[in-house]
Amino acid sequence: MNRLLIAAFLVAGGLSQISSTLGADNLNVVVILDNSGSMNEGMHSGGTRIDAAKSALLRVLDQTPAGAKVGVFLLNAGPTGNWLIPLAPVDKSEIKDAVSNLRADGGTPLGASMKSAADALLQLRESQRYGDYKLLIVSDGEASDANLVERFLPEIQARGLLIDVIGVNMAREHSLATRTSTYRNAGDPKSLEQAISAVVLGESSASNANDAGESDFELLASVPSELAAASLAALTGMANDPVGESGRAGADNLPPIYPNSGTQVANQPNFPGNAAPAPPQHGGGDNGGGGLTFGRMVIVIAIIIVVLRAFSFIAKQR
Amino acid sequence: MFRTTLFALTASLLFFASQATAQEKFSSITGPLDVKPVQASEPIQVPFITWGGDAATFYANGGLDTKPESIYGKSGLKLKLTPGDDFVQQVKDYMGGKSPFLRGTMRMLGQASEVIGTDPRTKPVVVLQLSWSAGDHIVSRENLKTLNDLKRDGKKAKIACQQGGPHVGLLYDALAAAQLTNQDVEIVFVDDLTGPNGAAEKFRTDPTIDACCVITPDMIGLTGGVDSAGTGAEGTVKGAHVLVSTQNMSRSIADVYAVRHDWYEANRDKVEKFVAGYLQGAVQVKKLRDDFEKTQRMSPEYRNLLAQCQTIFGEEVLPTLEVDAHGLLLDCNFVSLPGQIAFFEQTGNLSGFNSKLSAALDLATQWGYASSRKGFDPSGFDYHKIAELAKIEYSEPPRIVQGEGVMEFPDDDFDNDTIVSFTISFEPNQTDFSVDRYGMEFDRALQSASTFGGAAVVIRGHSDPTKTLVQLLKAGMEKGIIRRTGQQGAYKYYLNTQNGSNELDLGQTEAMVKLIKSGAFEGSADSPLQTMQAALNLSHARAEQVKQAIADYAEKKGVNVNLSQLQPVGAGISDPVVSKPASMAEAKQNMRVEFRIVKVNPETLSESDFDF
Repeated sequence: MNRLLIAAFLVAGGLSQISSTLGADNLNVVVILDNSGSMNEGMHSGGTRIDAAKSALLRVLDQTPAGAKVGVFLLNAGPTGNWLIPLAPVDKSEIKDAVSNLRADGGTPLGASMKSAADALLQLRESQRYGDYKLLIVSDGEASDANLVERFLPEIQARGLLIDVIGVNMAREHSLATRTSTYRNAGDPKSLEQAISAVVLGESSASNANDAGESDFELLASVPSELAAASLAALTGMANDPVGESGRAGADNLPPIYPNSGTQVANQPNFPGNAAPAPPQHGGGDNGGGGLTFGRMVIVIAIIIVVLRAFSFIAKQR
Repeated sequence: MFRTTLFALTASLLFFASQATAQEKFSSITGPLDVKPVQASEPIQVPFITWGGDAATFYANGGLDTKPESIYGKSGLKLKLTPGDDFVQQVKDYMGGKSPFLRGTMRMLGQASEVIGTDPRTKPVVVLQLSWSAGDHIVSRENLKTLNDLKRDGKKAKIACQQGGPHVGLLYDALAAAQLTNQDVEIVFVDDLTGPNGAAEKFRTDPTIDACCVITPDMIGLTGGVDSAGTGAEGTVKGAHVLVSTQNMSRSIADVYAVRHDWYEANRDKVEKFVAGYLQGAVQVKKLRDDFEKTQRMSPEYRNLLAQCQTIFGEEVLPTLEVDAHGLLLDCNFVSLPGQIAFFEQTGNLSGFNSKLSAALDLATQWGYASSRKGFDPSGFDYHKIAELAKIEYSEPPRIVQGEGVMEFPDDDFDNDTIVSFTISFEPNQTDFSVDRYGMEFDRALQSASTFGGAAVVIRGHSDPTKTLVQLLKAGMEKGIIRRTGQQGAYKYYLNTQNGSNELDLGQTEAMVKLIKSGAFEGSADSPLQTMQAALNLSHARAEQVKQAIADYAEKKGVNVNLSQLQPVGAGISDPVVSKPASMAEAKQNMRVEFRIVKVNPETLSESDFDF
């Protein structure tokens, strides 16, 4: 058997089966829905962003196969709290009421919401073990708690949860664009629905893994077996403990490696029709650049205050 | 538990010289026996042995001699219960007409089968199954973890076992579960079941003995308890632990009564009354026992029964009522009326009469107790009639017990709780597990589920980790953590850290693990964790498919199965045979489904009304 064929077999024999063998009861998704005040703004094609998101959600949830577990988490608590729809098997009769009562008002505390949503998924994974676990962020702007996003994002990813982002009518790429599995921008209700549908109902990214056409065995040949075994042990030791509360990962525990986005490369998601994200934008822009952490902001403000005081002192002297 | 201190006290001296190298045939031990008609005079002599199941016989009879107000007395039977722990003497009395009854396990009858089954008059008719044992064990030293280890790297384990008693069958079943025979191990036969000449003492005093077949008190003496390992203190043996117990291998030792064919034909009504009376007594005894176990308050009726057992079996065998006599009954799983139907009538029961008979004759001929196969007959009772006589409601046991698997997910004790395991392989791209290809393994899985009624059959799917490792490298390159040089067939990898760039060798293991755990490889299109989760899901899906295939196969074959015992589990890439395959052949070694018989608390198995 030639090597190419072997490699193809490995892929086909492993991953291509996943979509066929995994039933809907293996799908677990939490949609983090931005219901901040800015979502009341209109879309280019008419209607508000929140209305577009509501109808897209309704349609997608209606198509969700029985047994799949889907939750919708709001950035700003509504009458029933942050969980517009609790993470549980989809109950189509309850969804309609819940979604229709949705209002947009408040800020964009994305980081805290990511933790709550991820913890719910991790708790579910602890009890179910098998299945696909996804976080989908639907938002029109940057987080008001960027420091928490910075802190929680690697932790969530280190726990193996898939994060997808859909920017609603965003002028620029979201700061999460280069550091999550996929980023899509939806400028009209139809593309928003398609984007949500692709994430919620689509296959996991693993099943889309495309082989480069090289022999997998050759690729691995120079990797020492013991190192491979230790790497597998590290991967399979994936934790389900709550985000931000363990010593497993996170900012405090990062090994000495370039800490963030400067060295990172943009994704090339396998989603034709979606624009590949642009390289990260540093500074400026409506969205303020996700790289500006809370710590840095404090320092910048402190510097500005010192400079202003110096100016006023000089002015007084004159 | 106390299967008898007296078993073969006389017999063993004749029966088998300790550590005999060649097995002596049963007919040589008994010598030539003339068949004589059964004495017509009453009372009828009925042997009993030292076993909890026989307490129900005492109860039904009101003692050793039938009391008029007892169950047997009221039905018009007149019996004299006599000690039968010397099985050779039992056979002599049976052949000579002193007693029409034989009392033993199916395997013991099997060992004597050539002697008792050759003449049609004495061909045994098995009329009653009293119980399954839950009180016999194989204890091993620390280095033996599962039954598979009894033969490892060509080395044969040395196992001490009483000759001619119930443990020969226990050992046979344990070896069979690992697809081994007596040729694959070295059996050291000892004279007695327990005591100074028993297997436990042999194990204690002879360090070359790897394992021993023992009753519960000896098991506790060696290990400290069924789930413990000996510490070396208080008479225990350091590292000694239970390798297999009839608590899990719950359908190994079937205790039965058989009667002579000629006497059965002439006295069928008496045999029916005997069986019905026993079943009626067993219901009462089981209730008394279970009530005390639950409330820890002993009713006067139960105290009387235990005291009676203590008197009959002897205070040296049962020093206390609450612990020893009660323990004797706890070690016994009464099978009641539905159990008779399951054992004698359900053709799909892999632990039923036909299956146990066949195994008993296999043992007899393969281990040298007999040179020809002489079978027994089942009673052929009408169990509606027996139920009426016993004043028990007639109910048939289910053939297929539905139920989900018993375990959440195997924890770290999974390996420790494994009794025996075997593996099947599959091809890449394989989605169906056809009977044509896997029939033998399915048969083995179903037989294991039946014999190990108190265990789970974990069906554990495994995936090959090649794809995940490739994703790890690709994600690393995509994120600038890993750099690659060289051409196809001669790649080199470098790990970039703040300390510079180092070739990916063993020295980088710690840094690599830290990076993986920090999530540094995640967030790109190639996600190693997603690939790993996908492999986990896939392995679970495969295990589910195998479970379904076995369930369909059992249904089609008409084989009994308790589906709650079958537990599909996905191991994903967590336990590869080859961590980094260098070829398809090596990758295929990882693509497997493993069957493990795993100890569980039997109470967690699907509720069934019947204890068998």
